[in-house]
Amino acid sequence: MRQLEVALIGAGLIARFHLEAWIGAGAAVRIYSDDGRAAELAREFGARAVGSLTEALDGADVVDICTPTGTHREIALAAIGKGVGVVCEKPLAATSAEAEEIVDASERAGVRLYPAHDVRFAPAFARLHELVASGRIGKGTVAHFRFSAYHPRPWTGHASARSGGILTDQMLHGVDLAYWIFGEVSRVHACYQGEIAAPAPEGAVATGIAVLTHTNGAISQVVSRWTATPKPPVRVAFEVSGTEGTLTYDSEWPQEVRVADGEAGGFGYAGGSVFAAEMREFAQAFTGGPEPRLGARDALAAVRITQAAAESAWSGRAVELPVKGAA
Amino acid sequence: MKVTVLSLASEHADTYVRLLHAMPDVELLIADPDGPPDDQARARGVAGQLGVPYAGDWDEVLEWRSNAVVVTSEVGRRRDAVERMAEAEAFVLCEQPLAVKSSDVKAMVDTCDMAGVRLTLASPACYGEAFAAVRRGIADGVVGTLTTIHGSYHTPPAAGVNGGALAANAPYLLDLVDVMLDGEPATRVYAQANGVLGAAAGPESAAVLTVSYRSGVVASFTCGWSRSAAGGPALSLIGDKASLEYDAAPRLLGGFDAVTGGERREPGGEDPYPSMLRDFLGTIETGAGNGPDGEAGLRTQRIVEAAYESMHTGQPVDLN
Repeated sequence: MRQLEVALIGAGLIARFHLEAWIGAGAAVRIYSDDGRAAELAREFGARAVGSLTEALDGADVVDICTPTGTHREIALAAIGKGVGVVCEKPLAATSAEAEEIVDASERAGVRLYPAHDVRFAPAFARLHELVASGRIGKGTVAHFRFSAYHPRPWTGHASARSGGILTDQMLHGVDLAYWIFGEVSRVHACYQGEIAAPAPEGAVATGIAVLTHTNGAISQVVSRWTATPKPPVRVAFEVSGTEGTLTYDSEWPQEVRVADGEAGGFGYAGGSVFAAEMREFAQAFTGGPEPRLGARDALAAVRITQAAAESAWSGRAVELPVKGAA
Repeated sequence: MKVTVLSLASEHADTYVRLLHAMPDVELLIADPDGPPDDQARARGVAGQLGVPYAGDWDEVLEWRSNAVVVTSEVGRRRDAVERMAEAEAFVLCEQPLAVKSSDVKAMVDTCDMAGVRLTLASPACYGEAFAAVRRGIADGVVGTLTTIHGSYHTPPAAGVNGGALAANAPYLLDLVDVMLDGEPATRVYAQANGVLGAAAGPESAAVLTVSYRSGVVASFTCGWSRSAAGGPALSLIGDKASLEYDAAPRLLGGFDAVTGGERREPGGEDPYPSMLRDFLGTIETGAGNGPDGEAGLRTQRIVEAAYESMHTGQPVDLN
């Protein structure tokens, strides 16, 4: 089989994770970034740096967009125009209107579009979905998702408080999982606390709580936090209930390997990389394999619900979302 | 590469069949020359569903000329199966325990040596990235000087095992320690057991086994039958600076199951069977493997045998 040609756009931290995963999936990668960092990243991983977006897209099978959210639309539309498949870091776009435009363009052109919602590839969430989808908790009743993390760098992008600010990206994770297991959302209410507008300093503290009402009757609560300290650097937990039981998870539970007392130093084992699993599944889909676990419609739903949460937090009102098939 | 799965008696046999069938470079034979009629019928049925050949007698099995065999028959039939296949120059992956008596294990090891084929133990917790990380951590001195190991492995009662919970579950723990200590011999074994869970569960339903190794490292294990969906095998590796914990099947998800009225426990961790099979098939090319071999199986079985002697006498048993 011919090697998959990937045009990676951007050279920041997410681009680095994706690059490593693409190489692991056997792809050839050319990198373009308008901040001058492409050459150094390419050199480190034995990839190729190119001088323009056009050059990057020329002959590529797939573009992987790892640039700031505001630039996704332009790059995605350029790729779709050339028939190049799209992988896009989440959120797909800063507004629902832009996300719709990208998804419509990809569907009209028959170009595959996969959002990089990496948490769907973490074993705990993949298993949750598998069990809920196979009916193991019966009919879903209520779910609680909790994501908290410490942001180790200042926030450099620009995002107004009204748009959700620094809570947007993280809120999207829980929203995406709730949508994945319980489906379409018809109403969203949210409260956001903290100085959420970006740019923001390192260690900025914020909390968002969103309540999603699903069209199947289930309710999800998503709690999203940026914490004051990196102890722990990330914490994720959920409790999902249905008529036939519950499923719970906490990232604090020990997994295969841990240092129980004493100093671990540099030692640790975190299991397989979610990015590796994600890019492997996308690469297979782009080379004739089965469709991956998520697609363009999931990207659009996640942006719509997250934007509705920001709008609700700003207005104090619950926001109704249009439901497929309703008048 | 031609690989035979010999009998579907073991609960893991279906896993081997599924994984081997999916490997493009593997030609699969399912065989059950000594099995009872019901087992043979099931094995023939599975072969038919997959469209792979089935062999019901030894002449057919040996004529097929396997490069490798996975022995998943009942414990009592394993020695005969391993020796016949080894003499036909097939590399062997055999479920634990290899046999009930260490003299049988010794004969299996010798036959494989004579035939120039590696005997690999199916001890899955010894494979995979997590255990490799633990080995590296211990070698790099994360715990300081390793002095003490404790571990546990509790499973639902195993079918087709002659003996109780110690014979069935201790080998997996002993294999992990054997790998960790690079095959260091045991010097003393002490074991206590009971059958409180009931005679139907076998001679012993719970046991505690303590083993002293030549360097002074002490390892103590609990083994038992359990109705809970427990994980493991699990080890705590204790040194003078820190302790490191390994669980081959930790809890990924918990919760409540309203259908059974019990706790839910979805195991996490990597599925070690694919890497164990890859490693095993690699031994055909290289003659060497990362996991425990027949000699390790012999060391493990001698410890198990000493444990039964200790249970009987109530005193520690010295090994030389």
